[in-house]
Amino acid sequence: MRLRFLDTGPGKGAFNMGLDEALLEAVAAGRSEPVLRLYTWDPAAITIGYFQSAAAEVDLEAAREAGVDVLRRVTGGGAVFHASEITYSFVVPEGHALAPADILESYSRICGGLVEGLSLLGVEASFAPINDIVSGGKKISGNAQTRKRGCLLQHGTVLLDVDPERMFSLLKVPSEKLKGKLIQDVKARVSGLKGLLGREVGYAEAASALGLGFARAFGRLEAGAGGPGRAAGTGAQFPEPVAALPAELLPSVPSPEELERARLLAAEKYSTSLWTMRR
Amino acid sequence: MVTRLDYKIPGGKLIRVEVEFEGGVVLRAKVAGDFFAHPESDFEAAEAELSRVPVDRLAEAALGAFSRPGLVLYGASASDIAETLRRAVDEAQVS
Repeated sequence: MRLRFLDTGPGKGAFNMGLDEALLEAVAAGRSEPVLRLYTWDPAAITIGYFQSAAAEVDLEAAREAGVDVLRRVTGGGAVFHASEITYSFVVPEGHALAPADILESYSRICGGLVEGLSLLGVEASFAPINDIVSGGKKISGNAQTRKRGCLLQHGTVLLDVDPERMFSLLKVPSEKLKGKLIQDVKARVSGLKGLLGREVGYAEAASALGLGFARAFGRLEAGAGGPGRAAGTGAQFPEPVAALPAELLPSVPSPEELERARLLAAEKYSTSLWTMRR
Repeated sequence: MVTRLDYKIPGGKLIRVEVEFEGGVVLRAKVAGDFFAHPESDFEAAEAELSRVPVDRLAEAALGAFSRPGLVLYGASASDIAETLRRAVDEAQVS
């Protein structure tokens, strides 16, 4: 399996969403191979799910004052505060081994790359349907997928650290009285790599691990070996997993056309209130 | 008049509905939330079908519209959506 691999680092929210869509268009038009992209957010941003109401989910005034961009995704799911995290997007034509017709199955296969990447960082994690990855009972990654133009686009996050106080200063809460409880809930149910590993993990370290994790998991999937690829100390009882070559990640950058399209989508779609406030 | 209701599906997602109606007829029904629907355009087509439906038939119409073949919902079912709309209308008519 060959995948185009982009590491675009930090970007503004509207550009980040614009480039994901531009890549979807490029793969759909046959101008790009299936593509895996890693990125992050500068400044911090909130994205809301495609079906969410921006005004119902986000304290728009507080977000504006804090310099936090608010963006509607093309994918469903919930509101996400993107601050200390690494984000990926993945685009592949439908029918590819990573984009079977069954949506939950494709989530599971693509999230296999994150699970593998997390294990390289020393975090035991597993896919938790519909769209989460958990470790030690805590959510560490959320993912969202859409299918358009015969292609699948999935993007998602791995938390480097969580700051529920800051998050709930920007998201709407049913009442001020409930805010404390919601913050405690998030602390109990969500963790970043820092919380799980007891040390800071930066973007670059996480990006290396996730890139290799995707390559290994996708290569194994192609080889039909399946499974987590670890005998997990069970000794001779289980044979070594079938050897599989990792998927080939071809380092790449966005083409000038993709960049131009991403900037256009950022300006004319993702940063407009017509799009953000449409629900 | 406009009625709004939020319904948290036990152990699941949050559905937020908003129904605008006049003279017993729905002018516009909006179904928002953190669920997933594939394809998204089919969900919006189902939502649009709820305009001009008699208010007392809204839940039934929603159940039919969101159960359409090809529309796959995760995190909220057609009956969850229909039930939320029914409650929103009931609350508006009681008050």
